[in-house]
Amino acid sequence: MSAASIALEPAAGRASSGLWSEIRRNPTIFLGCAILLVLAACAILAPWIAADPLKHAPVNRLKAPSAEFWFGTDQFGRDIYSRIVYGARVSLIVGLSVAAISSVLGLTIGLLCGFYRWFDGIVMRIMDGIMAIPSILLAIALITLVHPSLTVVIIAIIIPEVPRIVRLVRSVVLSIREQPYIDGAVAGGTKAPRLLVRHVLPNAVAPLIVQATYVCASAIITEAGLSFLGAGVPPEIPSWGNIIAQGRVFFQLTPWVILIPGVFLALTVLAVNMLGDGLRDRLDPRLARRM
Amino acid sequence: MSAYILRRLLATFPVMAVVAIFVFVLLRLAPGDPAALIAGDDATAADIANIRTRLGLDLPIWHQFVIWIGGILQGDLGVSIFSNLPVTRLIAQRLEPTLMLALATLIVAVSLAVPLGVLAAWKAKSLVDRIVMGFSVMGFAVPVFLAGYVLIYIFAIQLRWLPVQGYKPLADGFWASIQSLVLPAIALGTAYMALIARITRASMLEVLSQDYIRTANSKGLATERVLLLHALKNAAVPIVTIIGIGIALLISGVVITETVFNIPGLGRLTVDAVLKRDYPIVQGLILVFAMTKVFINLMVDISYAFLDPRIRY
Amino acid sequence: MNAVTDQLAPPILEVEDLRTHFFTRDGVVRAVNGVSFSLRPGETLGIVGESGCGKSVTALSILRLIPRDLGRVVGGSIRFEGRELTGLDEQEMRGLRGHRISMIFQEPMTSLNPVLTIGLQIAENVQRHLGLSKKAAWDRAVEMLSLVKIADPHRRVHEYPHQLSGGMRQRVMIAMALSCDPQILIADEPTTALDVTIQAQILDLMLELKEKLGTAIIMITHDLGVVAETCQQVIVMYAGRKVEEAPVEELFDRPMHPYTRGLMAAVPRLDGRLEGGVRPRLQEIPGIVPSLTAPLPGCPFEPRCAFSTEQCARHMPPLERRGAAHDAACFEVDRVLEKSLV
Repeated sequence: MSAASIALEPAAGRASSGLWSEIRRNPTIFLGCAILLVLAACAILAPWIAADPLKHAPVNRLKAPSAEFWFGTDQFGRDIYSRIVYGARVSLIVGLSVAAISSVLGLTIGLLCGFYRWFDGIVMRIMDGIMAIPSILLAIALITLVHPSLTVVIIAIIIPEVPRIVRLVRSVVLSIREQPYIDGAVAGGTKAPRLLVRHVLPNAVAPLIVQATYVCASAIITEAGLSFLGAGVPPEIPSWGNIIAQGRVFFQLTPWVILIPGVFLALTVLAVNMLGDGLRDRLDPRLARRM
Repeated sequence: MSAYILRRLLATFPVMAVVAIFVFVLLRLAPGDPAALIAGDDATAADIANIRTRLGLDLPIWHQFVIWIGGILQGDLGVSIFSNLPVTRLIAQRLEPTLMLALATLIVAVSLAVPLGVLAAWKAKSLVDRIVMGFSVMGFAVPVFLAGYVLIYIFAIQLRWLPVQGYKPLADGFWASIQSLVLPAIALGTAYMALIARITRASMLEVLSQDYIRTANSKGLATERVLLLHALKNAAVPIVTIIGIGIALLISGVVITETVFNIPGLGRLTVDAVLKRDYPIVQGLILVFAMTKVFINLMVDISYAFLDPRIRY
Repeated sequence: MNAVTDQLAPPILEVEDLRTHFFTRDGVVRAVNGVSFSLRPGETLGIVGESGCGKSVTALSILRLIPRDLGRVVGGSIRFEGRELTGLDEQEMRGLRGHRISMIFQEPMTSLNPVLTIGLQIAENVQRHLGLSKKAAWDRAVEMLSLVKIADPHRRVHEYPHQLSGGMRQRVMIAMALSCDPQILIADEPTTALDVTIQAQILDLMLELKEKLGTAIIMITHDLGVVAETCQQVIVMYAGRKVEEAPVEELFDRPMHPYTRGLMAAVPRLDGRLEGGVRPRLQEIPGIVPSLTAPLPGCPFEPRCAFSTEQCARHMPPLERRGAAHDAACFEVDRVLEKSLV
């Protein structure tokens, strides 16, 4: 074994176990991940660990939390615990899909904006316009145009989130374009697409991942808000926002119908934000210092 | 300075134009017949035809756009489909509660969060700092409606200190009005405060490590003066920015808060209009809210020039 | 020797066995490790050494300006006009700072508050300490600006730091520091960040004002040229300790510590103007400053010293009187003196 490979070994060893040891060492990321994993497990195992969330049982109307109904029941006698377990599915699907799709869209548009001036001019005006409309209002307006479904809600939440990611990616591209090595690469005949992939993407990934976690948290809150207003996922789907919306009428009698799913919602958002904060401190120290 | 303000002002026009076009296109882009959509599932063919004529949907699209833009420029946002009242009048009727709620929230949040952030930065890593930061991480995760119902449960239902829901207009007396706003303003302001406190702390921490703060201390100035004049004025730009961004957040929050607390403001008007598919009202409200947001961004931009003498006009 | 200096007057500042420690993750850094000196009214005392030798920390310790979460004075005494400063509370210290003892810093570009006018930054000092009215304080600010030879002070007083050049900003710093007529001015590398031509102007200005106002100055610098031009008494610091002290002529005639010799050899010749007009830092002595967290038992300069013996590696040389008013901490002074200066 040569001296060089011996010297390289410890570094390589760190890289392979890096993610896990990082998660263990950073309590914020660890706690955030732990909460999310438990929620994800509940969402996946819902059919085995929960009863039918839609079953009406008039006998059991408005029951307080007990050994039989852990989180009580609503005015139709539906088991709140089961509804919350199934509701986790909706929240996680919305959060993850909005984060993933708006990141991909934002990344694509942002890269194009950063490299083509004419495209930038048009698109940024549109993005400014979209950003001027309060997100929940824009989402409601979009949803009411078509028959509501989970997909429609996801799309309606994505649209107001995209401009923020576009701005982020665009700013990364613009700052990298100022670097002398880009001039060198262009002078050397490297084409724009290669430049994007080789120089911009690696620099954009860290802030993008951090931003995506915040988008995920924001999407979960927005979905709940939309459902709460009656403009979200169809009422027959047990989402946390729907549970809360349907609990409004009897709030004074059965506050748990609203408070318990609310706490789950807050906990989920907290976990995602903690993950985001931890990743930010780890991946994007420049941003971390500013926050 | 005035050239700078003028330039910023002119920059808002393209944004508003995009919003106007967007709002116009929105309804026309919907799959199917917008008139049928607005009329609802139980409408007869005659109802649909009626709506089509009233909204001018039977005209060529460019003609529709000219009428729509012309109306906006004259301050005419159209007529509600259901109540037949001008949208501007409906908005004016609902303005007071929303304005009062937004102002109350802004005042409560800024006057609490900025001092907390300053305190946390000054006593960095202390217990106070940890508490403020803990609050800010938690507060940012609490959705408006959860905060609202928890507050109602504790202060209105259990302790009976404050009214459960509803809004008392200013005409019923200032204090009664303020009382009805206490809980909504705190609910709406929680996430906002968390955000401001966090940015204030971060911005102050950065400033407090600067050389000129050491200079201020070397002059033996009182701690309050070093913190509140020398440091806070330098830290102000990010704080004002986040206060501005947060107002946009508040507008979304207002819609939910007004539903939780049953406040008959613009948010409630929006939700009711959306549920009834009263599109002229929805369009008008989107324009008004977007205009507010653009105006606030403009104010924030202008404030930079006063906060930092290095900003070139 | 300067006429203002009164060799018989009691010292206004006496520092004895000052110890300042920083508490870092890697351990305790003994940044200042038992330093003593005294300053007479109207005297200019130079403290020289490489960066990291503890000279700036000594200055900050006197004014208690070290951020409390980083480090603090752990021992020794600082007496100002016979009054012990280490026992004063924060409020009393604030009353002294900027009033009786003031300080100017190395970086004029960053040491002034960018969002406040220079007039306000001077006026607030006199308002606070001398209890002047706002109007009187601003008049004083204008007066101070003309004293430091800033042209058109009535207009400049309303300007912000970014509107001034580096040299002008340092003049403003001096105006601010002297605005309350302090007994002591601590100048921490006041000219290092400036162009050579401006450096000379600022030093001349400081000397002139010192004559006029009778302020004692502690001049902290790495530049023996500055010391030769301005000081009467010189302290050489190395690794948190005082290794040599002498009147300025004596020090330049008979440098006793090998480190002092190293510093002198590192002074650039007059033709040695470098790019940007900034004088080079003293890095010409081979080796680096030793760790302050885990000090060796012997002389801290031993690893870099051309005169080192076995004794140097094992024992710390004490600071001893080696000539008329000349102290040095070195076992090999005689051998050092035998070798003539290069």
